[in-house]
Amino acid sequence: MNALLLIGSPKARRSTSEAVGTYLLDRLREQGVETDLLRILSMLRAEDGEERLRTAVRAADVVILASPLYVDSLPAPVIRAMEILAAAAVASAKQVPAATQRLTAIINNGFPEASQNGTALAICRRFAAEVGMEWVGGLALGGGGAIDGKPLDKAGSMARNVRRALDLTGEALAAGQHIPGEAVDLMAKPLMPTWLYTGIGSIGWWFQMRKRGTGGKLRDRPYEP
Amino acid sequence: MRTLILNGARPGERAIDAVHEVLVDELVRAGHEVNSYILRDIQIAPCMGDFGCWTRTPGVCVIDDAARRITADLMRSDVYILLTPVTFGGYSSELKKLLDRVICIVLPVFQQIDGETHHEPRYSRYPALVGLGVLPSADRDAERIFATLVRRNAVNFHAPRHTTIVIHVDENQEALYAGMEKLHTSMEMAV
Repeated sequence: MNALLLIGSPKARRSTSEAVGTYLLDRLREQGVETDLLRILSMLRAEDGEERLRTAVRAADVVILASPLYVDSLPAPVIRAMEILAAAAVASAKQVPAATQRLTAIINNGFPEASQNGTALAICRRFAAEVGMEWVGGLALGGGGAIDGKPLDKAGSMARNVRRALDLTGEALAAGQHIPGEAVDLMAKPLMPTWLYTGIGSIGWWFQMRKRGTGGKLRDRPYEP
Repeated sequence: MRTLILNGARPGERAIDAVHEVLVDELVRAGHEVNSYILRDIQIAPCMGDFGCWTRTPGVCVIDDAARRITADLMRSDVYILLTPVTFGGYSSELKKLLDRVICIVLPVFQQIDGETHHEPRYSRYPALVGLGVLPSADRDAERIFATLVRRNAVNFHAPRHTTIVIHVDENQEALYAGMEKLHTSMEMAV
């Protein structure tokens, strides 16, 4: 069995999508699964990237999409990749990807509530149906800003439920099963209380702006009509 | 009324361009001042997720391309219409490449709305939002996802009113005009 991780974050490094995705790949390798990783934006920018994307997806038994939530949905490059794969499926006499392939997605967002990822996961489910893949369920993570791209092994006790959810997901995927409800529930648990997350967030923005010399401009209105 | 149309049709999607043409005619006839962007013809770089529009150049995306001008036009409008093929229940990549770049219109700091966390508004007024999805035929699941997405966008972009319309059009003009009637009724309710 082999698994392909597609990273939907446009960040070249230190993305939460990559942190959760690579942790899951490590678990799958422990179960004897061969793994591969592609960054979607890099693929779309490469000269032969679209073909490499199609070939890699076609060769995978399990495709894992790890992506941030952008404006209640997937980032534009992820949707573009889906459109390319769907066009390949329609164009081919044989369904590509094959019906035996499985798709899962791990969506993270910067709000404390994991439930805000629901629409993006529904879009992933629809994509699977339209290209003939089996949707095996998805995981929703809220408060991704608290992980901020740190490797999960170094994210401390705050990320223990995330790690456990991915441990269970790795076991299920390697055994050819759907993602268990326990993993979904663990992943959706808040990393910290909402008041603490939003409070730390506000202080973080203030520090970043001060460092960049834009302190006091937080509420600027450049497009005020 | 200033109305902005963001056309997310991909190359070759003639049915959506036909919807666009009829839509402009109908809106102009109804007295709207209409401004349109065919997004597939406009080079817009992807959002890089670095939050520079919140911390480095507050309120303006750090990438200097057409998305800045379109965002300014969006904020000047009274209503904006997201015209898109319903794509896996959501927006096309052509429309989404612009929307990802529009988060500068809200603040990074949070507020609670109906028990959920969202970004505070940057401005005192925002345009109303119309999600206009096009499908070749009825698809309840895709339409439900699309309506949820538009509703959630309206909350996050602080639209004072919003509506979702899905019309079923391939190349059939009668279906197109029936869809436009539905759009008129819905827009009257929304705006």
